[in-house]
Amino acid sequence: MRNWERIFNPKTVALVGATERQGSVGRGIMENLLLGRDLRKIYPVNPNRKEVFGLPCLPSLSSIPQKIDLVLIAIPAFSVKKVVEECCQKKVGGIIIISAGFKEKGSEGKKWEEEIARLVKIAKIPLLGPNCLGIIRPKIRLNASFSPLMPKKGEIAFISQSGALIDSVIDRSISENYGFSTIISYGNEADLTLSDFLEFAGQDKETKVIAIYLEGVKDGRKFMKVAKKIKKPIVALKAGKTEKGKKAVQTHTGSLAGNQRVYSAVFKQTGIIEVETLEELFDIGKAVAWQRSCKNGIGIITNGGGAGVLLTDYCQELGIKLPKLKKETLKILEKSGLMHHGYSKRNPLDIIGDASFKQYQIGIEALLSQKDIYGLIVIQTLQSMTNSRRNAEVVVWAKKKWKEKPIVCCFLGGEGIKEGAEVLAKHKIPNYPELKRAAKAMWSLIEANKK
Amino acid sequence: MKIVKLLNFWETKKLLEKYRIPFCQSCLVQTKKEALKEADRIGYPLVLKISSPKVLHRSEIGGVKVGIRNKEELEKAFEEMEKIPGEKEGIILQKMLSGIEVAMGVKRDPQFGPVLLFGLGGIFIEVLEDISLRICPVSQREARKMILEIKGAKIFFGFRNLPKVEIKTLAQTLVSLSQLAVGEREIREIDLNPVICRGEEIKVVDAKFLR
Repeated sequence: MRNWERIFNPKTVALVGATERQGSVGRGIMENLLLGRDLRKIYPVNPNRKEVFGLPCLPSLSSIPQKIDLVLIAIPAFSVKKVVEECCQKKVGGIIIISAGFKEKGSEGKKWEEEIARLVKIAKIPLLGPNCLGIIRPKIRLNASFSPLMPKKGEIAFISQSGALIDSVIDRSISENYGFSTIISYGNEADLTLSDFLEFAGQDKETKVIAIYLEGVKDGRKFMKVAKKIKKPIVALKAGKTEKGKKAVQTHTGSLAGNQRVYSAVFKQTGIIEVETLEELFDIGKAVAWQRSCKNGIGIITNGGGAGVLLTDYCQELGIKLPKLKKETLKILEKSGLMHHGYSKRNPLDIIGDASFKQYQIGIEALLSQKDIYGLIVIQTLQSMTNSRRNAEVVVWAKKKWKEKPIVCCFLGGEGIKEGAEVLAKHKIPNYPELKRAAKAMWSLIEANKK
Repeated sequence: MKIVKLLNFWETKKLLEKYRIPFCQSCLVQTKKEALKEADRIGYPLVLKISSPKVLHRSEIGGVKVGIRNKEELEKAFEEMEKIPGEKEGIILQKMLSGIEVAMGVKRDPQFGPVLLFGLGGIFIEVLEDISLRICPVSQREARKMILEIKGAKIFFGFRNLPKVEIKTLAQTLVSLSQLAVGEREIREIDLNPVICRGEEIKVVDAKFLR
């Protein structure tokens, strides 16, 4: 196991290529680093400047008077190697090369990248990148990236081969109220690879779930070994590359076992939950981060018949079992004297459109009291008497009472459910404005239980 | 491009035997006389197949004759097959089996190594693409999952009047193939299609090994 501390929790950070120039990467990173200036020492390095954002700017790494944990490099590709050599001499704790223009650019860049990789291997200094956005750790206010946004702290580790995706992911996470333990943009993997970061996230205490965006892995067998060992749920979105020209001679197996299918097999064998869209990646990421996993057996409560039927269909497609309601469960409902005379008396429990939070409370209590119901989906359609905030509060109450049973909500609507949605997010109860997404989230909690 | 070689009849037979993968009763003959003699030994109905190191998909050139019921039919089929132009190693004479046809295969992935494939056999594998994959080696448990994962898995449990298939034995064959894939590194791709299954009896009818 590597010593990650100096990269992911550095006490001293140097930025080579620090500047105040508007619109530059060097400025973006500098501004982000300053967010944690009270927590760690920051050294801007740039021979052309005396000062950056009020901090004295040093001409080179060697002129820094103390040990350096993390060096960030954001200068043109051709001059990076020289700085890496300095890093090796100074025995820094780790390096992140933000700069692009390496392997992805052509043969010259590839050569530079290989030389740099060789240098850090000999010096045994872990290197992230090149060609990446950097890393972000909200809890310790470490933003070693040029992302314009700082995400909220949370439980999801997001490891992404694409840097550009990250900014949008953060933006959306802020408006949807979930956060991250770590965000890693891993770029070209000249030294550290996806498997290494997976290993890090696996042992990181803040991380409850690992979300990956990948196009391909560099070390297939190691990736499988690491993924299998990690007990935390891992969710992966694999972008497909169209298969290159088919070989002239090929068996059926050869032509059928394409790249995308092989990856799906890998995910299955290592217990990774595979998703198809970016939305799903975080729908599920959020569910697994916030709720416990559970056995297959789910209760549904709804104030709308149609929504209940739709959700039942989705559950069936996904193999989610909906246990029959027991006599004792129905007794709780009857005894309350609160149920509408037309309520459904089965799972999904339809408490009828005029249901108030009181009917929700009794219904939820009855469902969660049943032993073979291990989790709950709460549907709320908007009727004139629906009070989404009160209903959300009932869900929060239930979550506190049945800690071991996960709850996923599907408050359907937009403006009318805002207040309720906020209450739910605040208490880490995942809510989706679409039934299918809620079903998939619950499915993932059942899948996560198998890992 | 690498030079691809298709293993011949004897190499194929030997490799399957080494890993205890059951091969359908077959023999390679050169002459009609030989064919008639072997036919009496194996028993009708029979299948004739062209054996050539150059032909990967023999049905495409009319290199397969099925349902040969007697001596006369055998003679006729043999003559037709002899007329197919091109390099031949001989003609394969095989017991004709019936049952559920499945396909198994292996390919090597540059990242993950040998990949094992399972699916319904015959030409349906290409039409329906109802397959499952795993990275080798696979355990008996994983092989079982592979079998049950395909959409057509229902067919193994006795559908209409079709024979049932013993999942355990089928899974064992997949495990053996996975061992072959791991053990024989020079083999690049494998197609076992069809593999005919009936109860506990699992027989490879057609095998292609690319080196």
